[in-house]
Amino acid sequence: MRRRPEGSHVLVAASAVGLILLVGLPLLFLLLQAVFPGFNEGSFDQPFQAFRETLPDPALAELTGNTLLLGLAVVLGTLVVAGPVGLLRAVYRIPAATTWDVIFLVPFMIPPYIAAMAWMMTLQPGGYLEQLTGVHAGGFLFSVGGVVFVMILNLFPLTYFAVSRTVAAVGGRQGAVARVCGASPWRAFVRVTLPLCLPGIAAAQLLVFVLSIEEFGTPATLASRSGFHVLVTGIHERFADWPIDIPGAAVLSTVLVVLAIAAYGLQHWLVTRRDRVTVTGKPVQPQQAEPGRWRPAVLAAFGMLAFAGVVLPLTGMVVTALTRTVSGGLTPGNLALDHFRAALEPGSGALTALLNSLGLATGTALVTAVAGMVIAWCVVRAPVRGRTLLDALAVLPNAIPGIVVAVGLVLVWNQPWWPITVYNTPLILLVAYCCLLIPYPVRYAAAGLRQTSVSLEQAARVAGAGPMRILVRVVLPLVLPSVLVAMLLVFAVATRELVASLILTPPGMHTVATYIFRQFEQGSVGEGMALSTIAVAVTTGLLLLVARRLRGGMLV
Amino acid sequence: MPSSNRAATVMTLTLVSVLGVSTAHGQELTVYSSGPGELANNLVSGFEEETGVDVNLFQSTTGDVMSRLEAERVNPQADVIISASWDSAADLEAEGRLLDYTSSNAESVPDFLVNDTYTAQGVAALSLAYNTQSDVPRPSEWEDLRDPVYTDQVSMPDPAQSGSAYDFVAGLVSDRGEDAWALLDVLADQGLIVPGANRAALNPVLQGGRSVVFGAVDYIALGQAARGESVEVIHPDSGTVIAPRPIMIQADTDQPDQAKSFVDFVLSETGQRMVADVFLMPARADIPADRATIDELTVIETKDDVAADREALLGRFKEVTEGR
Repeated sequence: MRRRPEGSHVLVAASAVGLILLVGLPLLFLLLQAVFPGFNEGSFDQPFQAFRETLPDPALAELTGNTLLLGLAVVLGTLVVAGPVGLLRAVYRIPAATTWDVIFLVPFMIPPYIAAMAWMMTLQPGGYLEQLTGVHAGGFLFSVGGVVFVMILNLFPLTYFAVSRTVAAVGGRQGAVARVCGASPWRAFVRVTLPLCLPGIAAAQLLVFVLSIEEFGTPATLASRSGFHVLVTGIHERFADWPIDIPGAAVLSTVLVVLAIAAYGLQHWLVTRRDRVTVTGKPVQPQQAEPGRWRPAVLAAFGMLAFAGVVLPLTGMVVTALTRTVSGGLTPGNLALDHFRAALEPGSGALTALLNSLGLATGTALVTAVAGMVIAWCVVRAPVRGRTLLDALAVLPNAIPGIVVAVGLVLVWNQPWWPITVYNTPLILLVAYCCLLIPYPVRYAAAGLRQTSVSLEQAARVAGAGPMRILVRVVLPLVLPSVLVAMLLVFAVATRELVASLILTPPGMHTVATYIFRQFEQGSVGEGMALSTIAVAVTTGLLLLVARRLRGGMLV
Repeated sequence: MPSSNRAATVMTLTLVSVLGVSTAHGQELTVYSSGPGELANNLVSGFEEETGVDVNLFQSTTGDVMSRLEAERVNPQADVIISASWDSAADLEAEGRLLDYTSSNAESVPDFLVNDTYTAQGVAALSLAYNTQSDVPRPSEWEDLRDPVYTDQVSMPDPAQSGSAYDFVAGLVSDRGEDAWALLDVLADQGLIVPGANRAALNPVLQGGRSVVFGAVDYIALGQAARGESVEVIHPDSGTVIAPRPIMIQADTDQPDQAKSFVDFVLSETGQRMVADVFLMPARADIPADRATIDELTVIETKDDVAADREALLGRFKEVTEGR
């Protein structure tokens, strides 16, 4: 029995209140909306009417089946594609390793809807590939396989970083022990390293799963024409196409949330079956082998992944930005910087939108990092009941489509009885982003903490440190690498969040994503792609600056 | 590490400066407008200049404007709403959520585009959008696309995702009955794609993989043509469907007078010229436009009973076009 550290209940209470405000309330209001169709008008009539109408619909089974299929295919696909490369990164001393890490962060900075559009402009009939080589891949792209392919390439960095980081942390020491005890390298890996790495990898794949079932842009752009619909496209149809059916959308959202909770339960069971402490406080020198004669093969694996996941979509985006008209195609006379000029023109609002997004993303990264660390500590360490509930609450937003969070937030914060409210101010976007992105720091910090022995904290307590001091001086440095990666991810995703921003952006304000989307809808694809190129370049540049500060060792 | 402190300070300052401009809500007018964004911006700045009233503009797609309105029902924020869907206005009126107002500037707006609570400010028509660089002949009628030469060449916006595409199918079915479904059946046999809303349907035609959009919203394609895209808008002589875009005032507005003067401005000569600038037909018949106008088009009347049964129409459309 551990003694309850003094002050820990304060942290637990703060986490609980924070999470309830940020995640619990919007979800509760959404659930109320699902149960009471007139809730948005302040009426509690006809409870469960929307459930009765939506649940027996045969389309629901199909939507749910498709959603599961998509999620599982992407989880497997990212493992197959990025798992081996992450492993290589951990086991071998890769030339220019930090550069590869930065390259593999880029897919996070390309918004999924932009990536889907870039793939479409490249592979569809008449696309860039056909203009250059005479063949197109439209048949594949506009199918379930195409959606899975594009989503794997959007999400593989999560797997790559999880595998490379955890295997590197575990592999060196425990693997070495196994080898000393006479295990073959393969046996040491399968019986020792892999099981110990499971928490980190499972946490990442859970994120991959929930992000796949939550993603709207890619299935909507690529698969709706082949009749492949998922829960999120169904939710959007009810939310955004007249006549608007908020109760029906809320019911579909609850189905999606149930799926995510099930996935969370599975992952939780996998992770907590055993104790997996790997960092005990004894100094560890990560041991990485020289790739030797495998060097060309190792580099080829990295190169192929970078080419498909980073170079191709980036090229599709930049080429679209550089062509004056779409119908003009890839001809010398049609290449120009017009779209960049238009995007950067003073008064176009593009720069303001970019600054808005960068400011909001910075705020979101800072807030979620601090909150995420405290919540993760409560979940992993605090000896209180209900910590699993905290954990679940902190991962839920990842399972909820952005549009659902957005409407939940409107339902909560637009109530006339709040004395002051963040609604209709830019702060509502900060709240929305924090809600949507809090799972990253919590997941990453928790995975980091689970690998850190509690004896370090106990030692600090014996030496007379209080809980805050332990948190800041012991826990923080130990989980900082994980949290920093999470912050980078949060920053990258927050700079480009689209769906919630479209609903919540206060009148008169634009973010990068809403600006680009407006260009797609009403201006030209080229101009949208130009700003998106600028935004990707700026965020990548900022992240490079941060990465450079973490010199030596792995970025993660 | 002093430099990381400096970085933190810079980041904090950026954040504060962004969040510090939190909008104050005094006696400003709040306008929710669907696209085009350029038009909404021009109307708002023109109105601000003329009246000195500050406007908060929320500009997005019709779907997002409407879901925001629905989510805000318990505490409505918008004073004036500009939608791209005539039906949405009719539904809001039926629920008693609109203020009775007909602008004096609406006198030259045709009667069928004026109601007690909402008035058209601009009108789009549905058309064939044809890529002039394509190898297939230029179609001039809907039925021309029956020709097998158009196999794998036609794209169409999804009536489930685009209000104007819905009006288009409802209009064709009102006008031709079973013949409309037979035409869709032939198109589907010949590889019709229904990739999404209006933009999504136009994109493959611009890039050349397809040649014609069946039921394109004309102002979007006209705008693309003005940007140098090789696309031509064709309004078939046999008749086409129009999609009027209503402007209305929310019933519980705090500033009815300013809201009314905004509607007046949109329907004024200045406002209507701004509408014409984005290739929409101005609702007022006396304002010239650089495109085909309502009296030059053969307009198909949509039967209310056909348009009203949304489930039946969309169900049959899906049956005909999907699962081949």
